[in-house]
Amino acid sequence: MIEKGKISALQLGMMMYLAITPTAILTAPAITYKYAKQDLWISPIWALSGLITIFIAFRLHNMYPGQNIVQVSERIVGRFPGKMIGLIILFVYLYLNGIVIREYSEFLVGAFLNQTPLIVVSGSMVLVCAFAVRGGVEIVGRFTQLFLPAFVVFFLLIIIPIIPELNLLNMLPFMGEGIMPSISGAGVLQTWFSEYITVSFLLPFVADRKKAAKITLISLFAVILTLVISNLVTLLLLGEITGNYTYPFLLVARYISLAEFFTHLESLHMAIWVLGAFVKICIFFYVSVLGAAQWMNLSDHRPIVFPLGFILLLFSVWVASNMQELLHAISTSVTFSLLTVLVVIPMLLLCIAWVKKRFGRIRTMR
Amino acid sequence: MKWAAILGITVVLVFMTIYEWPKMKVKMKREKIAFAALTILGGVLAFLLVFYPEMPGPTQWIDAIYKPLGKFLEK
Repeated sequence: MIEKGKISALQLGMMMYLAITPTAILTAPAITYKYAKQDLWISPIWALSGLITIFIAFRLHNMYPGQNIVQVSERIVGRFPGKMIGLIILFVYLYLNGIVIREYSEFLVGAFLNQTPLIVVSGSMVLVCAFAVRGGVEIVGRFTQLFLPAFVVFFLLIIIPIIPELNLLNMLPFMGEGIMPSISGAGVLQTWFSEYITVSFLLPFVADRKKAAKITLISLFAVILTLVISNLVTLLLLGEITGNYTYPFLLVARYISLAEFFTHLESLHMAIWVLGAFVKICIFFYVSVLGAAQWMNLSDHRPIVFPLGFILLLFSVWVASNMQELLHAISTSVTFSLLTVLVVIPMLLLCIAWVKKRFGRIRTMR
Repeated sequence: MKWAAILGITVVLVFMTIYEWPKMKVKMKREKIAFAALTILGGVLAFLLVFYPEMPGPTQWIDAIYKPLGKFLEK
């Protein structure tokens, strides 16, 4: 076992919450609006892939305790195909993290630091994350525990002052074209929910495993609730222009003006964004470092943190040439690739493992 | 400008090696190989990206695989 640290089930839930929500709050309202129109706030409720991936992760972990999905795939389909599947999963994690870093730095540069080169913003973030990841899963877990309350408080500080400004009529017509628009809007959101397979990498380090399943489900509901609230507030405030902005939620934060002096709360939004993106990047970075170390049978994950961080930085430059292309990719190809690799492949693995167990050909523990 | 980027990349890679190499013990041969391989891979990729920024990236590869499906969702 490479990692000796332990996290609590509560930390697991918090990590999963912060691994999903930050980017979802930022870009999901605009992307969902394209498909679901005024029903965009219903879309997060169809979080099917979240439930499926959590189920798969826990079942696989029950069958092969203490192993994550990269190790399990080798046990299930044999050495070489298993290694290939592991490589694909790790590649997708690197790619996904590249997208997250790109989104983070594009947003920061676009909205706040207009004069700063992109690579400075993303490079400094990757460097900080690399030091956190070198510290291991415990450090990432504690950071999460430290940042989550701040995240929630800032989120509420943006939502609550805006309540008097909301216009309920923007919600109408409610399900005007039936339930289908909200479901097709949920299609893109599945990208975020499918990231719940990350639980499979963190489960082996959870000290109190009995509570893990319950807390993970609670965190899934918290994510859904947060997305419903942020989508709803964006819709009620902005109405039909939601789809015209890349970051509708930032506009919500800018709109706040309490008693003439309590203004420019987008700095809160930036605080949310930096804290959340830090944890999100850390977790995916950690998963790819850990997976790569196991994939190459290393005894320690720390030596490859910096080289992988460097490659990660390159990926963030490489994924798209500009923000529009990136957003377009997120709503089309990325959705399919993530769903295939993070949902369909684990599901097939689970089926094969189940069949193997059923026919008693499963090898005894090495 | 390109040469400045090359210089910057080289400096980063050298600093990474100076920081990490002494921390690995003599016996950790696999780790050293993995570190060297990943650093070289990163370096080559970085130089390629400096000279050919339009090189098709992972997004294009995935696009090529999922094109038929992507068209279906596109609006």
